[in-house]
Amino acid sequence: MSVPAAARDAADRSVRLPRNTVPVLAVLIVLGIWQLSGLFLNPILISTPAEVGRELFWLLRWGALELALVESLREMLIGLAAGLSVGIALGVLMGRYMTVEKLLAPFVNFFNATPLVVVIPLLVIWVGISIKARLLFVFLVTLWPVLLNTLAGIKNVQRGYVEVGMAFGLSESQMVRCISIPAAVPYILTGVRISAGLAIIGMIVSEMEVSFVGLGFLLLHFGSAFETGRLMAVIAVASLFGIVNVLAVKWVQARFFPWISAVAAEGQ
Amino acid sequence: MSGAVIEVRNVSKNYTGRHGAVNALAGVSLEVRAGEFLSLVGPSGCGKTTLLRIIDGITLPSGGDVLFEGRRLEGVSRDMAFVFQDINLLPWRSVVENVEIGLLARGMPPEERRRRALETLELVGLRAVAAAPPYALSGGMQQRVGVARALAIHPKVLLMDEPFGHLDNFTREVLQIEIAKLWRRLRMTVVFVTHDVDEAIFLSDRIALMQTGPGRLMDVLEVGLPHPRWEFNVRADARAIALRESIIEQLHVLRGVMV
Repeated sequence: MSVPAAARDAADRSVRLPRNTVPVLAVLIVLGIWQLSGLFLNPILISTPAEVGRELFWLLRWGALELALVESLREMLIGLAAGLSVGIALGVLMGRYMTVEKLLAPFVNFFNATPLVVVIPLLVIWVGISIKARLLFVFLVTLWPVLLNTLAGIKNVQRGYVEVGMAFGLSESQMVRCISIPAAVPYILTGVRISAGLAIIGMIVSEMEVSFVGLGFLLLHFGSAFETGRLMAVIAVASLFGIVNVLAVKWVQARFFPWISAVAAEGQ
Repeated sequence: MSGAVIEVRNVSKNYTGRHGAVNALAGVSLEVRAGEFLSLVGPSGCGKTTLLRIIDGITLPSGGDVLFEGRRLEGVSRDMAFVFQDINLLPWRSVVENVEIGLLARGMPPEERRRRALETLELVGLRAVAAAPPYALSGGMQQRVGVARALAIHPKVLLMDEPFGHLDNFTREVLQIEIAKLWRRLRMTVVFVTHDVDEAIFLSDRIALMQTGPGRLMDVLEVGLPHPRWEFNVRADARAIALRESIIEQLHVLRGVMV
C-alpha cells in the first residue's frame, strides 16, 4: 500500500518484463538442469523431460492412456458430484438447524478425522471389486471438506445481511435461498476446491487398491515394469488433473460470482 | 396532523453480557404522530438505535410494548421499513434485485416486483444503474438504494438509523434534501436516528432528546420551522440557532451531572 512515490516511479521506469517472465524462466531452467542430469543418472531412477514427452506421445498413440483417462474421469466426476451435492445440502441443513447439527456432528467429526483409505477393504466387502466401490470411495473422501466448509459459511453469514432479511420479513426458506446460501458461496467454493483435489487422490488410490483400471492401473503397471519414462508421463497427466481442477474453480468464481473478489478488494 | 401511529409504552431493554447486565433503555414512552418527521437525537450509547430497532421489531424489548395503529406489535412489522446505517446491500444481487427484497418477502409476482422496484429507483434517481452490482456504486448512491429498498414496500413508516452517518459532508447534505423532498412528496411518517443536531433540525417536525446511563428519553422538542426548509438557510435562521443551543445545552448539562 504505502510504497513511496519515488520508489514506485523508479520501478515504473525500469525495464518492463511481461508479467510471467520470471516463473516461466524458472521452470525452463529447472527443466534444462533436469534434462542435463540425464547424461549422468541411471534412466531407471529418473527420466529426462524429453524422454517423458516422447513416452507421453507414445501412450497417446497406443490408446491405453485415452481409455484410462475416460475410465478415471468418469469415476472421479460422478463420485465428486455426489460428494458435493450431499455435502453442500447437509452443510446447509446443519448450519441452519441446530438439531440437525447436533445430530450429525459426531459422525461428521468421526469420518473427517479418519484416514479414509482404511475403509477400502470394507467397501470391497460391501459392494465387491467394482466401479461401485471406487465411486463410493471417491464420494466418501470428497463429502467431508465441502460439508464442513459449507457449514462454516452458513454459520458465518454477516450479521448485517441476516438483519436485512429479518427487517424485510423474508420467510425461513427465502432466508436460506436468498441470504444464507449466497453469502456462504466463498466458503463453499473453498470446500469444492479441497474436495476436488481429494477426488483425484481418491480416484487414483481406489484404482490402485480396488480394481486395476484407469490412471492408477497405469501407474502400478509401469512402476512394476521399471518403465520410468512412461510412469512419469502418467504422473504428469495426473498432475494436469490437479491444475485443471484449480483453474476450473477459479473460472467458476470469476464467471458466476464476480462479487466475491470485488467485495474482498473493497474490504482492504 | 392526526393521532399517534406508533405508541411506545414504557419500553426497557437490558442486555446481559459477559461483563454483567447493561441497561440500554429504561422506561421510554413516546408517541409518533402520523405523517410527522421525528428524530431521535443523543450521544452514543443513549439507546436511540435500540429504540428504533424495537419499534421495527428486529429487537425485542425486555419490558413494555409498542403499539402500531393501536395494535400491539408482534415480530417485525410489515407496515414499517428500515434503512440501515451500514446499508448492507447484498453484493450477489443487482441494484434492482436488492430493491426487490421486501417485495419478494410479500410474495409479489416477479414482473410486478420488477416494475415496482424500477419505479422506486426512479424516485431516488437511480433507474439508470438498476442492473449494476451494488459495489460499483458510491457510498451516497448505495444509501439511495438502501432508501429505495425501504420505500419499495410502500411503508406507512420509514425508520432510518443514522442513514448518512458513513457519508462525507457534501453527499450527506444532498441526501438530507432528497429525503426531505421524498418525505413531503410521499406523506410518510419518518422516525430518524442521528447524533447530528443540525441534521435533526433541518429535517424534523419534532426532536426527541435521549441521554445515556441508562438510555432514556429526556424531552421532546417542537422544531417549529416552516417547510420546505431547503428553500432557506436553516443553519442561519435565528429560531434554529436558539433551538440548537438549547439542545446542546440540555445534552451537555445532563452529561455533566452524570460525571
